[in-house]
Amino acid sequence: MSDHDDHLHPPAPMVDEVSEFEVLELAVRELAIEKGLFTQEDHDRWTEYMHTLGPLPAARLVAKAWLDPEYKELAVKDGVKASLEVGVDWVSGMPTQFGTPSDYCNLRVLEDTPTLKHVVVCTLCSCYPRPILGQSPEWYRTPNYRRRIVRWPRQVLAEFGLQLPEDVEVRVEDSNQKSRFIVLPVRPEGTEGWSEDQLAEIVTRDVLIGVAVPKPGVTANAKRPVRKAVNPYGH
Amino acid sequence: MTDVNPDYLELDKEMNERALDSSPIELLERIKIEGRVWEELSEEYGVNNPDPPWRVSLESTCDQLAGGYWAPFNVCLPKEERESPSDDKVDAIERRWEEDDLVAKHYADVPFPERQLLALAHTLVRRGIMTEQELAAKMKSVSDRLNMVDGAYEDEELSNPGLANKQGA
Repeated sequence: MSDHDDHLHPPAPMVDEVSEFEVLELAVRELAIEKGLFTQEDHDRWTEYMHTLGPLPAARLVAKAWLDPEYKELAVKDGVKASLEVGVDWVSGMPTQFGTPSDYCNLRVLEDTPTLKHVVVCTLCSCYPRPILGQSPEWYRTPNYRRRIVRWPRQVLAEFGLQLPEDVEVRVEDSNQKSRFIVLPVRPEGTEGWSEDQLAEIVTRDVLIGVAVPKPGVTANAKRPVRKAVNPYGH
Repeated sequence: MTDVNPDYLELDKEMNERALDSSPIELLERIKIEGRVWEELSEEYGVNNPDPPWRVSLESTCDQLAGGYWAPFNVCLPKEERESPSDDKVDAIERRWEEDDLVAKHYADVPFPERQLLALAHTLVRRGIMTEQELAAKMKSVSDRLNMVDGAYEDEELSNPGLANKQGA
């Protein structure tokens, strides 16, 4: 293999046309800037920050909590402080520096037990713990999920492939302007002796929202169908 | 928890009283029909990224629009201590309410995040923050720039020297 083999690899495929939606996004942004609603600099800075976000810090928080009882106690008691150890500063980090309404808040870590399962929603809009979990998935934003999970949590979780025994209580936590939530699930069997890295791999975004439970060998979120709301409240 | 969040009932009442015009907007209707969504483009070009490259920029625009009324240090204040709603600033919760409403009425068949974008543009036009004509003209100039149409940069550079280098999401 020569030093130049890398140059022979075909370039990664890319979309080679400009869509109307791409144009619309840029047009809306430029007009808002021209009208003084915000500055290009603030937009750039915020966008760069948003690109750094993802579910890894939250996954690492859970993995650490599984391995260290003292850290677990801290996480459940003070999610904001526990976040510091996975590199997320809720108090003086990016959101509060200049940022966004829907992130500055209090992170709470919801501990599952063998008889208690937590699941997170935002019934009002789509509040989500972005600094520690990244962008929310499409289904989380839909009125269908937001309205049904509070009424029929067990059935909705079953649609996600999570069928819970009757003796497991389901508790739905509603995000709000003050609090964001992630779920600390029960550590699954078959992970004895695993490292923090190995454990973090099975703590997926859906596990952290609470619509899935961690399983050895499952390291990605399943593709979820997005349903329209049927006769949604108020519409 | 209750079946319906009481804050949602209150928001619903407030927003229904404001009665922003939710009728269709011709420009956005055309994009809805003619625009090629990421789902389609990524499949055609064999791109694996599930989101279009402009998605984070759109999220950022939404956050920036909310920056005043829901300023970071105001957000945890009791409601009566916050600023009043204003059409100059697009409060995040109001925008999401409008997005739900507009998606149900006009954009339910459009994939995400394209429908979030259409709903945002719809909200901004109906709030009078930008007109449909302004948006159409800006789209034309942006399209000319991105498609490298001859002369596309000349006027833009004169009026917005900072923006000519900021194209693309």
